[in-house]
Amino acid sequence: MKKSLLMGVAVAALFAGAASAADLKFAPGQDARFNWKSYDEFKAAHADLKGQPLTIFGPWRGEDEAFFMSVLAYFTEATGIDAKYSSSENYEQQIVIDTQAGSPPNIAVLPQPGLFADLASKGFLTPLGDENSKWIKDNYGAGDSWVGYGTYKGKDGKEAFYAFPYKADVKSLVWYVPENFEEAGYKIPTTMEELHALTDQIVKDGGVPWCIGLGSGGATGWPATDWVEDIMLRTQPPEAYDKWTTNELKFTDPAVVAAIDEFGKFAKNEKYVDGGVAAVASTDFRDSPKGLFAVPPKCYMHHQASFIPSFFPEGTKLGQDADFFYMPTFASHPELGKPVLGAGTLVSITKDSKAARAFIDFLKTPIAHEVWMAQSSFLTPYKGVSTEAYANPQMKKEGEILTSATTFRFDGSDLMPGKIGAGAFWTGMVDFVGGKSAEEAAGEIQSAWDGIK
Amino acid sequence: MLLQIVSALGVVVVAVLACSAYFYFSNKILDLALPVKDGDIRAASRNLNRRALVRPWLFVGPALFLLVVYLVYPVVATFILSFYDRAGEQFVGVANYQWALGDREFRQSIFNNILWLAVVPAACTFFGLVIAVMTDRIWWGNIAKSIVFMPMAISFVGASVIWKFIYEYRGGNDVQIGLLNAIVQTFGGTPEVWISVPFWNNFFLMVILIWIQTGFAMVILSAALRGIPEETIEAAVIDGANGWQIFWRIMVPQVWGSIAVVWTTITILVLKVFDIVLTMTNGQWQSMVLANLMFNWLFRGGGDSGRSAVIAIIIMLAVTPIMVWNVRRANRELKGH
Repeated sequence: MKKSLLMGVAVAALFAGAASAADLKFAPGQDARFNWKSYDEFKAAHADLKGQPLTIFGPWRGEDEAFFMSVLAYFTEATGIDAKYSSSENYEQQIVIDTQAGSPPNIAVLPQPGLFADLASKGFLTPLGDENSKWIKDNYGAGDSWVGYGTYKGKDGKEAFYAFPYKADVKSLVWYVPENFEEAGYKIPTTMEELHALTDQIVKDGGVPWCIGLGSGGATGWPATDWVEDIMLRTQPPEAYDKWTTNELKFTDPAVVAAIDEFGKFAKNEKYVDGGVAAVASTDFRDSPKGLFAVPPKCYMHHQASFIPSFFPEGTKLGQDADFFYMPTFASHPELGKPVLGAGTLVSITKDSKAARAFIDFLKTPIAHEVWMAQSSFLTPYKGVSTEAYANPQMKKEGEILTSATTFRFDGSDLMPGKIGAGAFWTGMVDFVGGKSAEEAAGEIQSAWDGIK
Repeated sequence: MLLQIVSALGVVVVAVLACSAYFYFSNKILDLALPVKDGDIRAASRNLNRRALVRPWLFVGPALFLLVVYLVYPVVATFILSFYDRAGEQFVGVANYQWALGDREFRQSIFNNILWLAVVPAACTFFGLVIAVMTDRIWWGNIAKSIVFMPMAISFVGASVIWKFIYEYRGGNDVQIGLLNAIVQTFGGTPEVWISVPFWNNFFLMVILIWIQTGFAMVILSAALRGIPEETIEAAVIDGANGWQIFWRIMVPQVWGSIAVVWTTITILVLKVFDIVLTMTNGQWQSMVLANLMFNWLFRGGGDSGRSAVIAIIIMLAVTPIMVWNVRRANRELKGH
């Protein structure tokens, strides 16, 4: 009797072991592309946290949520922490509600440093300490920039490092279909001047050069802010860009107005955009790239961040059916080098606990990056990861843009106060495309900014 | 699933028991505190009177308490917050109200809200009344009524999604999949991006609410019409009144009370309109309304509790007179005046 009971327990343990191992996408220690040593070390260092609860709130939904869960599985497997992930379509509002209501998650993941800065100023975030900021500085490409994007003023008015960057996007990309370019005999432009020439050439050949879609429901307008930011970095020094995001450089400044106008050269030309100007604001950004793949192509180029292949037609092979080139710089501004505009999610502790600290430590292991990299569009500026783990050469190319970047700038609209970066700037861009002049649109954004205390 | 059902049932049972226990024991305590003894008749009658005075409060008490916690306290807290800065910490006087008066977006919202108020309650009541009168005369009236009433069952967001497809625009030479644009195109017009046409887009959004609420107006008014005594209409017919005169001179005055109920109910709803605007435009293209503006100031990017409180107070001030008038009128009617 006793023996059979023991047998039962052993069998149950065996099954339990098998079940949890099956939850891990890549069996630990097997795939040579991954840094399993980091995983084992992390496991050894955090063995005493079994059963502790950890709540994580983030913006990842759908496919991304599944990928994140696969990463989280390694964390729970290594530590035994009972980690729960939840997300919301309106994460910006949700996290404000949760923190103000006094029931925040342990960990908040958000793609908006501006929002984090706001939460920090109200005392809702826990500083991560110098040790972590130093780690970012040493291990991330353009590490100083990243530390800056995680450093905010707390409730006491003192600056501290609050948010750990994890998962990045590269925005300075123009997507195209290589086959279409080959057939028409177009070359990848290496300067902005060439991009203008190519745009004109396509029109002359009877085609439509661009697909631009600003539609995003209540967030309509944001894709245009990426354009303007990319152009700002290509016409102004990075310091001016930084001042712009804090409104030291006004929206009405000729530099900003010129950048908006430059975007207008593409978006407000009836012949340049698929569907005409009226379609720009009304086309959903998720539908917009589909024009690239129509036969005959409805457009040849699409400016969008590295996440957009998720919305390409099913079965599209990156590098073969679709590829990207770096949004070129002006030959007339050689002093600005090759700046990279990007974005990313940042991880902060909204309710401190040992498990929360362990999760931040986990993000420092290469394995936390590599597992996601190997599956889908996950880029990281972490120099310690094996780039071989990237799922395809395109992502590897994008990842290398990040790790080798010297001038990296975060999406400006995410740095501005929410009312501007997630409001007036969007509306202003929609109004601009809808017929207002760049001065008028910029003036309205600036007056909205003046209205905030 | 089973666990949820069991725990929900458990909560219901516990709550009912707790309520019963509250009433039982509070009455017991009252009886003990104010005893009615046989000996002293005067004291007994005094205590009986006192009991009668206190007992209603025992019953109303819990409801009153909840009302204070969930209604009065938030109103007072909001009012206080409206005098504080964005974090709700520093007293700033009437600065937030001054800001509201000077803010372009705020004035835009007020203007749009007034537009909504002018159009939606009137349109709902008018269509509701017309449909109610007309469907009374035809054999398929009940079927028509059911169809008109159906949108009431759809959530505002769901309705907005449906209408999004009606207003959908496709650029260039694409086939228009939006119903409205398809019709426009069939008749040789140029398709428009309807929801981004400033000023007029307000009306396109209003149509959605009218579509949802007409059924409500129709049901109430239809019931009221049934209540009109046949004799008055017969008398009017005998006196030689035509249909138009019967409608305006006989029917409308007799259902006036119901029209007022429908009108005010929808007016209050319109002042709170939020979901439709959020789903369709999120206030872009100058279609902002007060509720959405409040939401944006509070939740977009960290939030400004002071300014959003000001907007909340203004919405409340706008709703109050209509509520008061409505309650008064209802009271008058109950008293039979």
